Amino acid sequence: MIHSSQGGTSLLEVDGLSVDYGLKGVSSRAIDSVSFALRAGEAVGLVGESGSGKTTTAMAIAGLLSPNARVSGGQVRYRGNRLPIDDDAAMRPHRWSETSVVFQGAMNALNPVHRIIKQIAEPCMLKLGMSRGEATARARELLEFVGIPTDRGSAYPHELSGGMRQRVMIAMALACRPSIIIGDEPTTALDVITQAQILKLLGELRSQLNLALILITHDLSVVAESCDRVMIMYAGRIVEDGSVAEIFAQPKHPYTRLLIESIPNPASGKKMIRPIPGDPPNLVNRPLGCAFHPRCPSAMAVCATEVPSLDKLGRGRVACHLHRSSQDKVAVHA
Amino acid sequence: MSESTVRYSPRGRARAIKGFLRQFLSYGSAQVGLVCLVFFLVVAAVPNILVGPLQTAINATGDFLVPPSGQHLLGTDEVGRDVLNLVVHGARISLMIALLSTVISLVVGTTIGMTAGYYGGRVDVWLMRLTDFFFVMPSFVLALVITPVVLEVMGRGGEILGFRPSLFVILVVIGMTSWAFVARIVRSQTLSLKERTFIDRARVVGSSNFNIMVRHILPNLVPQIAANGALVVAGAIYVETSLSFLGLGDPLQPSWGTLLSLAQRAGAASAGAWWYLGAPGVCVLTVSLSFVLIGNALDDTFNPRRRVIP
Amino acid sequence: MNGGRTGRHIGSILIRAIITLLMVVVLNFVLFRVIPGDPAALLLGGARTSVTAEQMEAQRQNWGLDRPLFPDQVVHYLSATLQGDLGYSFKFRGQRVADLILERLPATIVLVGLAQFIAILSGVMLGLYAGWRRGGAVDHIATGASLALYSTPSFWLGMLLVVIFSTSLGWLPGYGAYSPGTITGSLDSLLDYLRHLALPVTAVALGLIGQYVVVARAAMSDVVTEDYMVTARAKGLTNGQMLMRHAFRNAMLPVVTLIALNLGYVVAGAITVEAVFAWPGIGGLTVEALNARDYPVLQGIFLLLGASIVVANLIADLAYGLLDPRVRQ
Repeated sequence: MIHSSQGGTSLLEVDGLSVDYGLKGVSSRAIDSVSFALRAGEAVGLVGESGSGKTTTAMAIAGLLSPNARVSGGQVRYRGNRLPIDDDAAMRPHRWSETSVVFQGAMNALNPVHRIIKQIAEPCMLKLGMSRGEATARARELLEFVGIPTDRGSAYPHELSGGMRQRVMIAMALACRPSIIIGDEPTTALDVITQAQILKLLGELRSQLNLALILITHDLSVVAESCDRVMIMYAGRIVEDGSVAEIFAQPKHPYTRLLIESIPNPASGKKMIRPIPGDPPNLVNRPLGCAFHPRCPSAMAVCATEVPSLDKLGRGRVACHLHRSSQDKVAVHA
Repeated sequence: MSESTVRYSPRGRARAIKGFLRQFLSYGSAQVGLVCLVFFLVVAAVPNILVGPLQTAINATGDFLVPPSGQHLLGTDEVGRDVLNLVVHGARISLMIALLSTVISLVVGTTIGMTAGYYGGRVDVWLMRLTDFFFVMPSFVLALVITPVVLEVMGRGGEILGFRPSLFVILVVIGMTSWAFVARIVRSQTLSLKERTFIDRARVVGSSNFNIMVRHILPNLVPQIAANGALVVAGAIYVETSLSFLGLGDPLQPSWGTLLSLAQRAGAASAGAWWYLGAPGVCVLTVSLSFVLIGNALDDTFNPRRRVIP
Repeated sequence: MNGGRTGRHIGSILIRAIITLLMVVVLNFVLFRVIPGDPAALLLGGARTSVTAEQMEAQRQNWGLDRPLFPDQVVHYLSATLQGDLGYSFKFRGQRVADLILERLPATIVLVGLAQFIAILSGVMLGLYAGWRRGGAVDHIATGASLALYSTPSFWLGMLLVVIFSTSLGWLPGYGAYSPGTITGSLDSLLDYLRHLALPVTAVALGLIGQYVVVARAAMSDVVTEDYMVTARAKGLTNGQMLMRHAFRNAMLPVVTLIALNLGYVVAGAITVEAVFAWPGIGGLTVEALNARDYPVLQGIFLLLGASIVVANLIADLAYGLLDPRVRQ
């Protein structure tokens, strides 16, 4: 059940992955049977509200699940080899060498007491076995590469602007020449102009280095600017997957449609953001059937009882009873 | 910091207090602390009923330095007084000094911190310079040199409200030297409260500065003052015990620290009279730990991320 | 980074230290005038009966006691203090207070220094480990024990140690610094000194360990939740590398401050412990001065404590600036 939007060899395959969090004896499912594939050089947006499982999905791929997380099903394969994502120590060689992460709010993601050059050089020394001198030279190259004057290398994080810190974070992510970069809300907390610059930088790096990019965001407009493909997540499941162009032109899942409608669009004179009615789903006590049905404007009786599977539709995938073939659709309108 | 500002209706306030109590009492440490504290407060309230009047060398009931027995549950001291009797009466003295000096410390600290924060400018600069001094110099060090001088000036005779004046000297000195910590916290809280809209509203309506401080700012400082107050008490017990141990207490009305001082002078440690020095020490430890636990639980309740213990 | 700013930062720290020290001296001056009795007689070391009228007059002139209180007397007092003239002891007739204090200081420094050393090594390590493995068995035990130690007067711990290890078991001496009759300078006398040192050092160290564990643990458990620790993990660092390269230095910031501050406070804190063990240091001198109402000595000790606290604060501020680049500006 591995789907890739345009075929070709997969760099990364996520297959039926489920992750639970245990907290004070209560277990809640953060992601449920998530499957997708990523090709080399591809840029995928992972979009959803907080609690939709987008961050858990990304952290599972990077091997950064927290200690109270448990992989309850499925697997992740990198270049065809299964990754030991629930084994902290066994994942260590994979981290940063194959998959690196650009965290949000680089202020706290960078260590305040070390100069930035040292933080960039660190993985080169520890992971690539470079000498201090080699690592520093590489860190200088990387700084230049992301557009920071090399003499700023001796600065501490607090001496740089938010955009500069995000660039440092990107330079650091490139240190071990990974093939996948995960951007965890990399432009949140930046002003619009800086945001555009950072997205542009990521785009350039991707094409120059043939990097696959997974961009986690709650902001569809960011995805529209910088990704080929988008996956919409809701309550721990992928509800829709398709090319950016198709999804924006013709959203199939009602949730996707509402998300797109809620993007403020100054051009069309629509100033008010229309929030999606209803509350985000409760993961401990999730609704039966489709998790979105209590908020869905097109909900049917079957939606409350049966979980829709993520099926191929056109060139993408969608998990919605509205789009199932007519013979097994019990079309009773609610 | 707590984002809630007090503008509740009476019913809302009752609900808030109930919610606070439920949260506070859910901490095991708070329960242990409260139980110990209530026990000692009861003991301190009615010592005469529990163990009879304070024994002196004249009306002592036992032999010298007798280990614990059925007759003397905690043994006797070097002049034959019952240690249980001394410790129970000592609770009254120790707690009185600790609590009253904390009241002084909180009143002075709150007044100075609130005034500095509210008026700002020069007032702030000078009050904070004063606060810095008391913040840097520990209460114990200041009290060590101030207390004997004041005792010499005042003399030790007479009684005030049934307590010896030297006890009041100690408690006033402790209170007047341990407020800086409170003043700093209150000042920073006042600075942030001052910018809130409801203060502006009160000012527009024409409330006086004093009125605004007492009616609008003070109620919002209560959580901070309470959590830190518990730690101030623990500190006061420590200072009082140390000063009394060095002989600045009153032998006619012995606190736990004074009892430890008497035990030391009587050579209780080298005589192996563990009960004599053990009983007051365990009391100090228990009460002080109770206040620390309560203070921590209060702080966790009001503001879950930060811890107060320095 | 900016030299001017750094200079100004250090300057303001220095000014605050000097103001605090001046206030200590002024408080000493005020207290001295408040004590009943003729200041001249007090200054002559309490030899109230055997002093002739001429001597009194000379003393009065010498100290400017016939001149106005402010500014003349205050200035005189300040300059005398600055020159190390702290007056004469009441109890030890004719002895200069400064000499008395200097004579007793080494014993206290040995006691306090050794206790600090032991407490830092064990308390900081234990606290950092407890915070790193927060919620583990070591954490629970260390936190409980250190809260109890934190609430216990260390002099009482000292008394317990005497009862247990000296009186009951007879392992170690619980009184003084030397056994009578040991020949000074021999190896035996050194061993004897160390045996006398063991219990008081333990008492002072236990009091400090509680504080260090609490602070180091709090600092480390804050650091562990920081975003840069997630970054370090994502970089593929081992637990040991994360601890040593990223967590340790950040967690040490508040701990170093506490250590520096304690350098000043511990001298005061050891007073009661010294009293328990009749240790011949500043604490012992304090008790003697209190019992004899020897105010000049008491004030000399106050000045010493004040100065050590101010210096310790100075070191703490400067050390923090060195360790944390954010403060340097």
